[in-house]
Amino acid sequence: MLGFLTARRAGLDDPLRLRRAESTRRVLNLKLNPDRDVDRIHGNGINSIDIETIEGRYMLSGGADGVIVIYDLENYSGKPQYTCKAVCTVGRSNRHVHKFSVETVLWYPYDTGMFVSSSFDKTMKVWDTETLKPAEVFEFESNIYNHHLSPIARKHSLIAVGTKNPKIQLCDLKSGSKIHVLQGHKAEVLSVRWSPRYEHILATASADSKVKVWDVRRASGSLFSLDQDNGDKSKSSSEAVNTAHNGRVNGLSFTSDGLFLLTTGTDDRMRLWNSATGENTLVNYGKVCNESRKGLQFTVSQGCSPEFVFVPCGSSVAVYVLHTGELVTMLRGHYNNVDCCKFHPDHQELYSGGKDGNILAWVPVLRASDMEEESDQKNKGAADSSAGNRALQDAWSSDED
Amino acid sequence: MNRKRALVSDTFKVKKRKTGSEKFGVVDDHGDGQGDIKSTIMDLMTLFPRKLFNDAVPQIVLKHQLYSIHDKTMVDKEVNKLRESGSLLMFQLGFDAEAFGLVFASDYKAKVLAGEEGKATRATVEKFLEKVVSKCTDLSFSKDKMLREFLFTDSEITQLVKSGVLTVRDAGSWWLSIPNTGKFIKYFIQGRKAVLGMVKKSKYGEVLKDDLEQRRTTSHVKFHIKYHINDIVGAELVESVPTTSGTLLRYVDS
Repeated sequence: MLGFLTARRAGLDDPLRLRRAESTRRVLNLKLNPDRDVDRIHGNGINSIDIETIEGRYMLSGGADGVIVIYDLENYSGKPQYTCKAVCTVGRSNRHVHKFSVETVLWYPYDTGMFVSSSFDKTMKVWDTETLKPAEVFEFESNIYNHHLSPIARKHSLIAVGTKNPKIQLCDLKSGSKIHVLQGHKAEVLSVRWSPRYEHILATASADSKVKVWDVRRASGSLFSLDQDNGDKSKSSSEAVNTAHNGRVNGLSFTSDGLFLLTTGTDDRMRLWNSATGENTLVNYGKVCNESRKGLQFTVSQGCSPEFVFVPCGSSVAVYVLHTGELVTMLRGHYNNVDCCKFHPDHQELYSGGKDGNILAWVPVLRASDMEEESDQKNKGAADSSAGNRALQDAWSSDED
Repeated sequence: MNRKRALVSDTFKVKKRKTGSEKFGVVDDHGDGQGDIKSTIMDLMTLFPRKLFNDAVPQIVLKHQLYSIHDKTMVDKEVNKLRESGSLLMFQLGFDAEAFGLVFASDYKAKVLAGEEGKATRATVEKFLEKVVSKCTDLSFSKDKMLREFLFTDSEITQLVKSGVLTVRDAGSWWLSIPNTGKFIKYFIQGRKAVLGMVKKSKYGEVLKDDLEQRRTTSHVKFHIKYHINDIVGAELVESVPTTSGTLLRYVDS
């Protein structure tokens, strides 16, 4: 580490190299920290988590009871022990709360004044964060599984919505219309994602085992459909030709540079695709247990080398190296199935939520400090700590040793 | 995960490893090149019992058996390279959508021709081997392809199916297959179930790999037990946990 710092100072190394090395070291050290907690508000399972990208300070969570909670992740208390408090909640007593479970929650990509939530009560609501009232409600004919807003869009403000209906609806925030429809899938659409690289490219995953990539400006249908055999029609059985997975595809995620797309399916496989050509890179992650009938939210790290994928796998979160498929570790801590996880890129922390109603924060373990430093800090801490520590302070041994 | 030693990324490893340090339990030979995959395949093939089938079947190794020894993505790449070069053939074995059998091309051709001695279908099979197997690396063929590209007639296709080189996949398409493998697959599935049962019935559903290799196998297990162990580890039917007394195989309930 010191080697990296001196090289950076002397200009021998690119500044990015130190950052990458340290980020990777932190991600490899993710652990449950007893000092970091998230307020437990949800009584039931948590279906979706989102952290806003502007400040990285506020986290949204949507639960199976229809409740939406906003947490403040920043620690300004000065103490290492910190519980992320819920800033505000859209609870059951709110007049506009969703009637059934909230499936997806997302911050508006440009500021935290607005967020969008979609639920099994067939509505998608665009909320004003200040007043916690919906500014716009979009009604649909069937359960909504997933929605996504493009994180980089400048020319459009479309929300892609995946529902039980095989047609994907695009809702416009500016005009409130939802007439733009993308047709092509044959079964319910479990997951939709905009590309973080091109604002018009959308990827959708469906229960008919196909993943289609669309350009929303094009009227005539999808650009291509991902094929797990890369066009080698002879490899799989005849029903599985031109499919991305051998079962329902329920998770989609682009890498942060938008060059690769990851998909997970109920055939217990995860595949990495080149997002420009649709080619299967054939990285073999092994068996990635997946029993979810709805969508699965998984996430990719940012700013590390090599990049890591965090996938909820039963009641733990599996961490794989993105491009080689090696399983690094399993993060165990939840009591029940994990449904969603989100990586905080600035602090290299992982937040995961599951059916047990807990959101766990996986925090990188700090380096062990030297003995000398530690005793200095202890002295300082003892001097100005509150009454709680005085009992532990020993008054008869000298501090000057 | 409760790790006593933290995971360290490669960039931070400055100290050179001491040579000759002993490693207990952890098998460590990743990152080897193509030559090694080929030699691993040949090693695994020696585990295949030839006498059981009276030499009628060529030695078969399953692709996922290699996953238990080398890194999965690398195995996939190397196997594809060997297939492209024509020295290795891959077959869909039929009992599992993901189970692929690997046979050396020379082995396959020799066995098939030996099986066809004195039969009327010999000429067609020879033609098939020459034209199709040597050039095309597909796993299955559709009727269209057979008729147009390779200029086989309908009756010739029937002869090929009869001789066992092609197996029906669905109306109008066929898998490439190895003749006389019915017995092999039957014994394989039986043996796999038996070995898995041995792991499952152990106390806590787990057993040390070395211990399992020493155990006496029932009459259901016709192959070498190592062949089956590689198979169940590679197919992830058991979890392989490195411990200080060797690798532990734990039954995975799924």
